[in-house]
Amino acid sequence: MNIIWMIFLPIIAFIIGIFFLGLSRKIMARIHWRYGPPVTQPIIDIIRSFSQRSVSHGILFNLGIVFSIAGSIVVVLFLPFGKICPLSGSGGLLVILYLMLLAPLGIALSGGEAANPNISIGISRKFILALGYEIPMLFILLSLMTYYKTISIVEIVEAQQNMGWSIISLPLLLSGISYLLVLPAIMGIRPFEVVGAPQEISSGPMAEYGGQFLALATVEHAFSLFIGIALFVNLFLGGSGDILVPVENFLTSAGLGCIVSFLTGLAFSLKMLVVFVICLFINAVYPRLRIEQAIRYLWRWPTLFAFAGLVIVLIVGR
Amino acid sequence: MDRNQLIKWIKAPGKMGQKYSLHVVYFCTGCGIIEIPPSITARWDAERFGVMPVATPRQANLFLITGYVSVKTLKSIIRTYEQMPEPKFTVGFGSCPINGGMYWDSYNTIKHLDKYIPVDGWIAGCMPRPEAVFVAVTHLWTLIDKDMADGYKKYRKNYKYYRANQEKLYGKMEWPPLFPIEDKKGSSP
Repeated sequence: MNIIWMIFLPIIAFIIGIFFLGLSRKIMARIHWRYGPPVTQPIIDIIRSFSQRSVSHGILFNLGIVFSIAGSIVVVLFLPFGKICPLSGSGGLLVILYLMLLAPLGIALSGGEAANPNISIGISRKFILALGYEIPMLFILLSLMTYYKTISIVEIVEAQQNMGWSIISLPLLLSGISYLLVLPAIMGIRPFEVVGAPQEISSGPMAEYGGQFLALATVEHAFSLFIGIALFVNLFLGGSGDILVPVENFLTSAGLGCIVSFLTGLAFSLKMLVVFVICLFINAVYPRLRIEQAIRYLWRWPTLFAFAGLVIVLIVGR
Repeated sequence: MDRNQLIKWIKAPGKMGQKYSLHVVYFCTGCGIIEIPPSITARWDAERFGVMPVATPRQANLFLITGYVSVKTLKSIIRTYEQMPEPKFTVGFGSCPINGGMYWDSYNTIKHLDKYIPVDGWIAGCMPRPEAVFVAVTHLWTLIDKDMADGYKKYRKNYKYYRANQEKLYGKMEWPPLFPIEDKKGSSP
């Protein structure tokens, strides 16, 4: 069963990610009082990119983007999607934290081969931004691990189904707020859209991608969107949710396990949708920060909140 | 607009993809670019046709030559055009790229753009309104449907002719030929 989910879960993640990409363009258009493209527009773009003849800049240029997608797929396998988590037995939060850097690393390797100055600026910005949000992120994860006394993300999700969501349990409130403050930076949306700024540095690391490479980069973008939101929903919004537990118990006792995984997946996707739409509103309202402003912001309020949250968790305990 | 007809998508996905995802290069050659911001933003909303500006020529497949083409700009235009991945389409925007327009007797303006790069269509007017961009886009769709928007094929086939014209203007070019120049004499398209 695990093997089947290992094949299907990346496909589900891709579909959700690409749907979110399309939805983001539609919602942004409606906020601008435009009609906007159809929700399927990213798929049309991918088909168009695949049909174009592309230019390669060397072996590493080809392999880097594949490496990046592979890294994203591995992270997807580590994240619980509702009740499904193919690699639940191994690793946990630390592995996810480590593997999440593989995707930008692959893009960086690939872009370094193309030797375009815009790509270099974009990559340096990406890693500076990662430095900015990794510090509050580490504090947040430390306080979660201390509070639930585990490093396994599956156990954190299960604990939330018994004790309520992390974001409304009082000792973790500050950590939750801090995570919400860094979430746009993790997803790379507008106040922190410094990496792929089209008007400044010609869309940064994507500058030399055309044809198949652009299509693969879009696929990677869809995966990274899924990962960014799914991690937040798992850690703070209780995964697939505690409302469903009685229904699940009933269905499992009736022997309908597949319906349970479908329902939990659906609930999980709905929570992701809500978080994503909130992020889109932030994206629509704010202008872009400069990179040093972004770092100043990320190392001030989110880090302060996360650190205070860690201290509170250490004092209050469980 | 046959964007939702699934059978066409299954028959020729590449062609349909090129039709409904026309990504335009950010490249302002002249005053015509002033009509592009209103046509891509809230007032006329080009994104509902799948037309979107992108920042690099590598990601684009439509090249709008907006406004008059000076000799200096033409060099950048040729470079940008050669960097775009095939299939690619070019549309001359405004009367200046067509025949020089009000710069008809200027010593420094290109009067025949299609001697240097192939152009798939023209939008006449000074200035054309944003609606004219959409008329051009829908017309380009029919051309793509009938395989008549084949400027990039002409460029590949008659590269010797185009390269000779470019070299006549600039002398020695700074970059090597895009395609191998064959021995047989290139003919005018």
